[in-house]
Amino acid sequence: MSVGTQLESGREGARDVAVWDPLVRLIHWSLALMILLNGAFTDDEGMVHQWVGYVALGLVGIRVVWAVVGPRHARFAAFPPNPMRALRYLKAVRAGDRTVHLSHNPLGALMVYNLWLTVIAMGVTGYMMTTLRFFGIDWVKEAHELAFNWLMLSVALHVAGVAFDTWRSGVNLVRAMLLGRKRIPKGTAVE
Amino acid sequence: MKRPARPAKAKERRATALAGIIILQALCAIFFIGDVLTDMREGAHLNDVLLAAESVAAIALMGGVIFLMIELRRLLNRMSDMDAGLKVAQGQLAEVMDGLFDDWNLTAAERDIAIMICKGLDNDEIARVRQTAAGTVRAQVTSVYAKSGAHGRSQFVSLFLDELMSGDFGGTGPQDAPTQLP
Repeated sequence: MSVGTQLESGREGARDVAVWDPLVRLIHWSLALMILLNGAFTDDEGMVHQWVGYVALGLVGIRVVWAVVGPRHARFAAFPPNPMRALRYLKAVRAGDRTVHLSHNPLGALMVYNLWLTVIAMGVTGYMMTTLRFFGIDWVKEAHELAFNWLMLSVALHVAGVAFDTWRSGVNLVRAMLLGRKRIPKGTAVE
Repeated sequence: MKRPARPAKAKERRATALAGIIILQALCAIFFIGDVLTDMREGAHLNDVLLAAESVAAIALMGGVIFLMIELRRLLNRMSDMDAGLKVAQGQLAEVMDGLFDDWNLTAAERDIAIMICKGLDNDEIARVRQTAAGTVRAQVTSVYAKSGAHGRSQFVSLFLDELMSGDFGGTGPQDAPTQLP
């Protein structure tokens, strides 16, 4: 073993790149917690449910502002919503490409926007139900429930995607979202 | 052995604390804005002064959030610059160390021990890490010093620093003439 690998005190040949800043990580796990709370624990009709929902909405709002003023990997520019790129990425994956994306991969980026929009839709319809104008109107309630079902499906796909990408690229994405660093195996192309 | 905290770790903690404050303050700001909007819609002109004060508070909170976000981005950028510089320095230090170890014909065990000396471990700690007797380590350390021509720990460590600081920074090798100090 050379001195270099010992100095870096990491696994031989792997290198750590800081990608997710603390704000991104805090927002991510807080949002996950809010979705879990409202999906599984709080009383749908209660005040707690409302406040948890508003916090979730607020978290997405903060994240969107951070995507404008934040550092490189957190910005919109790092993961543009581009279905064509996602398709190209899918093709490349099927062809066995193992390129590591420092920010979200193009397919994951679409999921990010999908999750944000769904949470916003839930927040807006949820708020509407509390107003006099829309209280008791069926389509609002149905939209809220539809958005919830879509959110659950999205979360499942999101988790599956994370598992798949971790397996495919060898970069542990859960660890990256916890500690902020992606450990890139040696000799891997990075985008 | 208690080691002084690394500045990078302190910065990381600072960034995390800043992020937490940003989230809390932003949520407060959103709460106030929502409150102000509700009051306005419900026509609370009965108390315009209070409404004005609440609006100012909401705007100030919002401004504070943006300010903190910019502050956090600066801190993160500084951290990543430092990280990049550190990586380059690590690479060069590793090269220098490997080169000198080769020059001195250190054995694999002696290289290990030399690195631990540089990292500030004393003989007992080295013995514990390598799971060998203290006497063995003492003999190996002596041998490392003898091969390198150093008369002790601090002089041994400074051999590497000296090598790194000779020649202009970023220069290639030990053969470079030392730059004259101002």
